Amino acid sequence: MSTATVVRAKSRRSNSNTKTQTRAAWFMIAPAFVLFLLFMAAPIFYTLFISFQRTKVSGLFGGTRETIWVGFQNYVNSFDSEFLASVVRVLGYGCILVPVMLGLALTFALLLDSPRTRSKTFSRVAIFLPFAVPAVISSLLWGFLYLPSVSPFSYILNTFGIQSPNVLGPDVITFAIANIGIWGGTGFNMIVIYTSLKAIPSDIYEAARIDGCSERQIALRIKIPIVMPAIIMTFLFSMIATLQVFAEPMTLKPMTNTISSTWSPLMKIYRDAFQNSDIYSAAATSVIVAVGTLAISYFFLAVVQKRAFGQEER
Amino acid sequence: MHQGLRTTMAAVVTTIALATAGCSGAATTSSNAAPSEDYSATNPANITFWSWVPNIDKVVDLWNADHPEIKVTVQKQDGGDALVTKYLTAIEGGSGAPDVVQAEYQKLPTLVSKNALADLATVGAADLQSQFAAGTWSSVTLGTSSVYAIPQDSGPMAFYYRADVFEKLGIAVPTTWDEYAAAAKKIHEADPTTYLGTFSSVDAGSFAGLSQQAGAQWWSVDNSNQSWGVGIDSEATQKVASFWGDLVEQGVIDNQPQYTTAWFKALNTGKQVGWVSAAWAPGVLSGNAAATQGKWKVATLPQWDASAPASGNWGGSAVAVSSQSKYPGAALKFITWLNTSTDAAQALVDEGGIYPAATAAAAATLTEAPEYFSNQPDFYDVIAKSAETVAPFTFGPNVNVAYQAFSDAFGKAAEAKTTSAFLSALTAMQEKTVTDLKNQGFTVSE
Amino acid sequence: MSTLTSSRTSLRRPHREAPSILATMVLLIGALYCLFPILWVLIASSKSSDELFSSFTLQPSVHLWDNIVALSSYRDGLFWRWMGNTFIYAGVGALVSTWVSSIAGYGLAKFNFRGKTAIFNVILMGVLVPGVILAIPQYLLLAKVGLTNTMWAVLLPQFISPYNIYLARIYAAGSVPTDIIEAARIDGLREFSIFHRVAVPMMVPGMVTIFLFQFVAIWNNFMLPYIMLGSDKLFPLTVGLTSLLNQGAQAPALYTLVITGAMLSILPLAALFLLLQRYWRVDLASGAVKA
Repeated sequence: MSTATVVRAKSRRSNSNTKTQTRAAWFMIAPAFVLFLLFMAAPIFYTLFISFQRTKVSGLFGGTRETIWVGFQNYVNSFDSEFLASVVRVLGYGCILVPVMLGLALTFALLLDSPRTRSKTFSRVAIFLPFAVPAVISSLLWGFLYLPSVSPFSYILNTFGIQSPNVLGPDVITFAIANIGIWGGTGFNMIVIYTSLKAIPSDIYEAARIDGCSERQIALRIKIPIVMPAIIMTFLFSMIATLQVFAEPMTLKPMTNTISSTWSPLMKIYRDAFQNSDIYSAAATSVIVAVGTLAISYFFLAVVQKRAFGQEER
Repeated sequence: MHQGLRTTMAAVVTTIALATAGCSGAATTSSNAAPSEDYSATNPANITFWSWVPNIDKVVDLWNADHPEIKVTVQKQDGGDALVTKYLTAIEGGSGAPDVVQAEYQKLPTLVSKNALADLATVGAADLQSQFAAGTWSSVTLGTSSVYAIPQDSGPMAFYYRADVFEKLGIAVPTTWDEYAAAAKKIHEADPTTYLGTFSSVDAGSFAGLSQQAGAQWWSVDNSNQSWGVGIDSEATQKVASFWGDLVEQGVIDNQPQYTTAWFKALNTGKQVGWVSAAWAPGVLSGNAAATQGKWKVATLPQWDASAPASGNWGGSAVAVSSQSKYPGAALKFITWLNTSTDAAQALVDEGGIYPAATAAAAATLTEAPEYFSNQPDFYDVIAKSAETVAPFTFGPNVNVAYQAFSDAFGKAAEAKTTSAFLSALTAMQEKTVTDLKNQGFTVSE
Repeated sequence: MSTLTSSRTSLRRPHREAPSILATMVLLIGALYCLFPILWVLIASSKSSDELFSSFTLQPSVHLWDNIVALSSYRDGLFWRWMGNTFIYAGVGALVSTWVSSIAGYGLAKFNFRGKTAIFNVILMGVLVPGVILAIPQYLLLAKVGLTNTMWAVLLPQFISPYNIYLARIYAAGSVPTDIIEAARIDGLREFSIFHRVAVPMMVPGMVTIFLFQFVAIWNNFMLPYIMLGSDKLFPLTVGLTSLLNQGAQAPALYTLVITGAMLSILPLAALFLLLQRYWRVDLASGAVKA
């Protein structure tokens, strides 16, 4: 390197530092960004692309096949009564799942944090354990427990001469599916809330205790407000998961008459794409679901992001 | 730990090997015109085979032992539906499909309409026609001069029943559907927790077979204007639907799906004492109703018109070659052995419990009743009687859609438990099927 | 509990209340609810196939070992191969994903440059796209390069996880002080060395969390491997066990094997949790929103 270069480099020291840093930052983001482009962005754009297409065949056995542009036809076709029914169903499912799951998670977290409770380690591990069970496996296990002729619950009820209800019947199927979600999700959300409870300095409680607050009052007036942000986060992610419910109804489907192939929006997408080999309708429905999720989540994300990154950008 | 590591290593090595195989397969583009296939014992043709038939790998081992020049690797699949799902995705993707694929007869038109199968007539498959019954052969040619698959087994339907229960209640084996209904009533009245059967909304194939027996033609070809006719909501099918709808409405047969743990338990504990099934039933029963072995018997299906006996098919499959394969000739050699030789048929019967479609092979191998039915030495005579009377039936290019619509519509109807719900389910099924055909671009004659 | 601890506690908390039976009961009922299906699968896996459907469901039997042997011999130990595959997918996938997410999260949190917010928001939107929707186009894409039905088809798409990048960014922002980075720069360290030598040690608890999240996500994933893989020698446990269950209409379903397999498949992940639970900082998912 010549002297001249060194001098010039020195004179622009700070400027080139920023440049080096920016370049380093880009290199650091590059692997994630490339993977994102390849395995998320490209598939999403491809989905968008084919959602405006359709293959037309001719002859008796599809002698010639050509792909044509059909505008919004796939979207119009996708927006049928089956799809709307599946959305309504999933909303009903979410109305059961999210409050019950988060209510239980919050209750258990507060109990774990309370000085008046015993056998905490055992309970914490036990309640968290279902998180380790894949949804297809847990649905399978619950499926066995639901079938009246195999279920121990029915067995016990029957010995007392009570006719056991058909859990997989049309009236309670939504609860049956929600139960699997609650079982699998409570532990994780409990841990999220519990860890943020642990982060609260205990001096705060001491003052309250001296003022004569009971543990219940401390929980309701101090703890819950402080962990509210954690609850909001778990709420958002539970909601997204709700809209995407798939594995549980799919696994239970062959056991009952009451779960149709379009029980949830994702099941409809799966049916169209794989069972009916109509990837064009599936693509259109996918886009509708993704846009819907985006719209519903947008408000929450805006709030969450402001809180999450407020301090960093200060 | 050590063991785990070794397994891991083995898996990694295999993966690399498979990845390499996959790449080389994709790199070579096969041309349609008279492919020249170059292989020998030292440079064998590697053929992958997707199938769900139990123990098919053991049958293929017999082939591999004698044929070093064509090496067949079995990749087990979940079942007929899952296989086609995955297979069509692979075809759509342009690579990743196996060379040889097992497919149920009703899937063939769909596969053909997606250009997913090689025409085996170009490599000499037409010579095999004489080995099969005319009806079976036409289901692999789809009435054209092409040959899209070689039949492996067929599933002529039959009625399985608990002989001991029938005897105890003094019921004669039903020969007509009216007698079946009467028997169902009698059995359910004798014990309200016991049923002669169930209407299963997850088994469209069974309902299709029963409709076939009643003379329905769900799809038909009009060659004059190259169009499809759809006759699902026809008089013949309506007859079948209202028959079962009526039994479900009366509550004398069950409305729960088949192939669930609950259903298997009911077979095992004698709460289900009959099953309208097909030739392959012994395999299912021996695996899941072992406790009741020796108490079952088989009879031909109850009839609508006893003077003109008819039957239907449920299941049965053929073996086809993928349009992506670069060894259609070698693949056909293997399939010919698998589906027509006595050795292979014997192995398939012993290991997989199938009913061979090739007439000579069937005659040579089906001399003894399956073990589960050793109490009924004439088991295969009954099945053969059913096979002889199977009514003609054409499958259309969107059986998948129709069957899916069946499950959804009849699932609802089975819960509603009314005959009218069964009939409107049929209408829904017809509508979905026609709409889908039109959406795909087929011409539909109304 | 020692007298020392209790006396200290009572010193600090003069109004310490007695153990509440009700609160403990509620917690134990919750624990029982969560353990019940696992208890059931333990019991069921001890039954022979005859007993499975005939004896009372909660009555244990003595055939656990027989079932494990039967499962191990099913098609030359295919089950253990699935177990091994699952470890490869989850282990390798989670390791790579942790590195990719951590370095990207660090880059997004600790550098200021144009387009940073835009990139982050675009990646974050990926959280909202369900895997089922991505699976088909991912398949078609990988089929174009001939990678379907290989381990890569399952590994590659799971290297990227927008949620983990989001977590890593929060964690890097919270746990790596900017002064220390500046000090390292003055010492002449290159940016990548700063990340690997200075930032990573500080981010370890967060990275363990990300690793575990991704490990569990891949371990529990069904859809992607189900679509990508044709050969059952490459299956992970989820796909393998459902294939055992859905043998198709003409073959008997192998319930005892499925149940024993389900039982065995739960064990490794449960053990991993117990082992790593003290490193695990789930609070970063929530700590983030604590303003």
